[in-house]
Amino acid sequence: MAAAFIVGVAMTDIGWHERDPHDMGVRVCAEALRDAGLLPSRVDGLISTPHGYMSGTRKMISQRMADCLGIECGLMLDVDSGGNSSSVAVHIARDRIQGGKIKSCLVFAAQREVPPRQIRGDIVGHFHLIKAANSLYDSYQAAYGVISPLPFYAMAIQRYMHLHGIDAEDIARVAVLLREHALRHPQAAYSEPLTVEEVLGSKVLTPPIHRHESSEMHDGAAAVVLVGEELARGDGRAVRVAGMREAHDATSFVPYRGEISRFPCVGRAAHGALEESGYAIADIDVAEVYGAFAGMEPMMYEELGFFAPGEAPAAIAEGRTTHGGEVLINPSGGRLSLGHPAYVTPLLEFVEIVRQLRGEAGERQRQGAAVGLVHTEQGFINGSIVAVLDKANWR
Amino acid sequence: MDTKPYMQDRAAEEFFSRLERGEFQTTRCRGCGETHYPPRVVCPACLGEDMEWVDLPRQGTLLAFTRQADAIRCREPDVLGLVELEAIGNVVTRIDAPFEELSIGIKVAFDTWTSPDGVALHQFRPTT
Repeated sequence: MAAAFIVGVAMTDIGWHERDPHDMGVRVCAEALRDAGLLPSRVDGLISTPHGYMSGTRKMISQRMADCLGIECGLMLDVDSGGNSSSVAVHIARDRIQGGKIKSCLVFAAQREVPPRQIRGDIVGHFHLIKAANSLYDSYQAAYGVISPLPFYAMAIQRYMHLHGIDAEDIARVAVLLREHALRHPQAAYSEPLTVEEVLGSKVLTPPIHRHESSEMHDGAAAVVLVGEELARGDGRAVRVAGMREAHDATSFVPYRGEISRFPCVGRAAHGALEESGYAIADIDVAEVYGAFAGMEPMMYEELGFFAPGEAPAAIAEGRTTHGGEVLINPSGGRLSLGHPAYVTPLLEFVEIVRQLRGEAGERQRQGAAVGLVHTEQGFINGSIVAVLDKANWR
Repeated sequence: MDTKPYMQDRAAEEFFSRLERGEFQTTRCRGCGETHYPPRVVCPACLGEDMEWVDLPRQGTLLAFTRQADAIRCREPDVLGLVELEAIGNVVTRIDAPFEELSIGIKVAFDTWTSPDGVALHQFRPTT
């Protein structure tokens, strides 16, 4: 069967940027194409995402890139599917390439948000954005003034802790570990060490979530170049997309039936991607997992199948998810410490796993990494995409 | 600033206008008998559109609770909870009690509450 390969990746530093997202996008696309050794005239497809949740009013983003880089292509799409958007883009690119309709595709995302402090400084002037944030939620949730998913994540984490006897230190330790990972990443938003005491001493935003256990929104950009076998053949740095699956639950944010601390779509996506790839979860050497809160990380590790329900916090404490452990999870620092430009985040996860499988992850390198996993989500983890990646084998 | 909540469909308009009259009700499909929460304009079980309004249980179990940090309607103390109504499902609601006095699994009962900007909402309060 035809396969698709990632042959070029690039990302900006993550933080607060002053540059226009289009400008960040052009530069990161050029860098990814140089990394791939592919000129724009060889690019067959172009897929992108909005520029942010609070600032994403600009349309036709891929079209502008086609003009700026001189790309005449057979696929163009701007995807808006929340946090999953840029992995939906990778998924579509991969399927079109495998189906033989296109030979290559450039996937990019660039995000620049209106900073929350700017909104807090002028509530009236930004009220249209606050109303827009409120209208993400259905009437039965929005009526209570909800403008972020924080309270829903808080309740999921509270129940998870209650059901499995997990204490506050267990969750704080996750934030500390991700910060330790990020200290090895020169492009991460955070470069100061963090302690359990600092996490538990930070402001309680929405109990039980502390400030240091919650991802800030950041700016940044990333790009990924996918090609078919014809263009990839012989590239010793090529990474194969060995399996990929998307799965959604019939929910929008809060599940009106069932357990709020369980996320069935994650397991379905993981199962489908692993089955297609022929690997088992135990084969995964390195993974990037989309947990936007410290308390969500262990739940995601469990839903993906790395650990049994309730067992991830102990595994994390024992060092089983860090350097030297059985699986290195979120070596980039994850959403919490790499930084979280949501529309870009899935591409940042692909960038990290590609660098790991190429052996180009510097101080973060998992020695001998051969099989990697990317997990992304949208909404309140109402939908998930899982990809399994391995090194191309040109025999 | 217009702070009124938006109504996504006719079922939401009807649900909140019934709350103004102290009625806590949802839709039941006259075609197949399925009861929904939240109320629906189309029955997901049979795609029928002929609905009647039936009472929801006024007693429930507190599944989880938190305090909102930033929200546009409910001011501090802004305790938000998830309440399980037997045989119906989970309801996002205001909890009328101090956060510190709550625990998972306690029994709670329905009440109405009018927000500072004049919106009739439901809330639940511990029964003991």
